[in-house]
Amino acid sequence: MKRIDCLKAIAGKVGDALVVASAGGATVEWYDLHPSDGNFRSRTLGLASSIGLGIALSLPHRKVIVLDGDGSLLMNLCGLSTAAWSGPRNLIHIVFDNSVYESSGSSPTATSGPTDLVAVAKAAGFPRAIWASDVGGFVRAVSEALAGQELTFIGVKVEHGIVPGIASPTTDDTENKYRFMRHIEKLEGRKIFGSGYPEL
Amino acid sequence: MKTGGDLVADALVAAGINFICTLPDWNMARLIERISQENSWIHVRLAREEEGVGICAGAYLTGKTPALVMQNGGLLNSANGLTTTSLQFGIPTLLIVYYAGDINTRYFSTVGDVTEPMLHALGIRYYILRDREAVTRTIVGATVLTMDSKRPVAVLLNRDLLRSEA
Repeated sequence: MKRIDCLKAIAGKVGDALVVASAGGATVEWYDLHPSDGNFRSRTLGLASSIGLGIALSLPHRKVIVLDGDGSLLMNLCGLSTAAWSGPRNLIHIVFDNSVYESSGSSPTATSGPTDLVAVAKAAGFPRAIWASDVGGFVRAVSEALAGQELTFIGVKVEHGIVPGIASPTTDDTENKYRFMRHIEKLEGRKIFGSGYPEL
Repeated sequence: MKTGGDLVADALVAAGINFICTLPDWNMARLIERISQENSWIHVRLAREEEGVGICAGAYLTGKTPALVMQNGGLLNSANGLTTTSLQFGIPTLLIVYYAGDINTRYFSTVGDVTEPMLHALGIRYYILRDREAVTRTIVGATVLTMDSKRPVAVLLNRDLLRSEA
């Protein structure tokens, strides 16, 4: 199974869910398939899930999807217990597990050996944590999570390799931040910038 | 009677903090107890400090005024997240840091030695709190500065301040 096929299958189904993508190939593919100011691209390996958790806790009425990788999640495994304990019902943590550090030379991760990330998420306390074994199952799992009210972890084993010919997003990081925050202002109908602090 | 920890908690409320992540230190036990009792914010208990950098960033993206409470050992743990998330994207976070290894403390002088040089290296401005009288104006002022500059700002808390009672 290819990651791009999974992403293509959900690109039309996420509605106005906010999407935080990990540093790595999933980001390049997702930004190409689903360009939106509601996308945020992490630069710190491991922190996409934490950024998504902060958004989900702050906007409990909005769905938040994290597109993560196995290497990234392994760097912040404790984030699973923090998410499970703080318990947002609107967070959907998707991990594309290709068992390699794809963006940094494709050497193997521990999921090529004994580590089972869905089992780890379950043991950390995620009320729903499942492997999707094909594209259809993946789409069903994501659709159910978007329709439901349960903190959800979805793992999917994929081949490694970024689809060739897709250009990286051209927005720089501060532009990504401002576009995302202006998007939140519009979605929520309130001002973020220029409010609440003393003016000279 | 209020301890220094109570004063810091009161000052965080006065500063308008409405999202806060904590990882404990013995000397901040009262402060974190107070944080857990307040209704002014969403409180997230961390397992490692660097995840708090990401969680606070996510909260800021939605319009929150975030703070991250930790020991200076945790500040060192957070160096990559502070650099490649907070500084790279221009994300404010008030860092409330217990200053292990500051004057009149024992066992942690090594982490004390590197704390201020590390903040200098990252270009993160910081203020050291050792006196009760300075608590409110420093924490409120540091919050204004972090939100205005869109960079993290640190307030380092001395042990004797946290343990003081009046």
